[in-house]
Amino acid sequence: MTAVRVRITYCAECGYEDAAADLARALMIEFREKLSAIELVPFVDGTFDVRIGDDLVHSMLRDGGFPNPDLVKAAITSRLRV
Amino acid sequence: MTTIDRARFATGLTYAAFKDQMTRNRDRVEANEARVEIAAEDLEAFRAVNGPIHVLALAEDWCGDVIANLPVLGMIAKESGTLDVRVFLRDQNKDLMQTYLNQGKYESIPVFAFFDDAFNELGVFIERPSTVTEHRAEQRKQIHADHPEFGEYGSSPDALPEAARAQLTAEITKRREADIAWANREVVRSLREIVERSPAAA
Repeated sequence: MTAVRVRITYCAECGYEDAAADLARALMIEFREKLSAIELVPFVDGTFDVRIGDDLVHSMLRDGGFPNPDLVKAAITSRLRV
Repeated sequence: MTTIDRARFATGLTYAAFKDQMTRNRDRVEANEARVEIAAEDLEAFRAVNGPIHVLALAEDWCGDVIANLPVLGMIAKESGTLDVRVFLRDQNKDLMQTYLNQGKYESIPVFAFFDDAFNELGVFIERPSTVTEHRAEQRKQIHADHPEFGEYGSSPDALPEAARAQLTAEITKRREADIAWANREVVRSLREIVERSPAAA
């Protein structure tokens, strides 16, 4: 099984702590020990980015809005199968 | 789409009641209240309306744009005496949020929806003035142009080394702080435009 690391970078000045924590919690429950790490990175300026391994799978600046948790889960699942 | 009437509007929280139920960031709201400066001519424009204007605000206490911009509305209401503000919590009033989605899809807050005394909608303010959003983007581009170590504009900050990310955070925050008075004036200008477009304007 491939080790998968998830990094969620969120805008702390915007108050996105709950959204980041909710996504992290959903991934923890879904994937349990299959993830090597979930990292929460506070930032500013309207950021909400999700990186899985080296791939930026969601960027609020690039894609708009918050990520669909189901799409993040699907992206992780596909990498776990590699 | 939900239609606002007098009865529904009356169920909202007053600005003071919204502050009283906040579980976080009240200190930031009150700090921002203290920094709001309303020019005499702006205040006069709000005072000049004929009859009360009802302002429905959608908000949550965690949101940075609410913390920044709701105090501006609150202070205008306090100083002018012509704006009747009622705050509705976004996540407990999803029907209202659906009525005022940003670009038809985002649940951005704050929303300030202005109504005349017959509850005809006069105009809507969502999130922050577009001038502020554009200015921030230009600032961010300039920061990246001035500091190649921060990477290209548009790249995710998560790819930066921690020290560089901390420096970028500090640079953005410093510029943001320096712009607060200007951003507040832009909020006042945006809200004044809505009021002045209304038939209630003198």
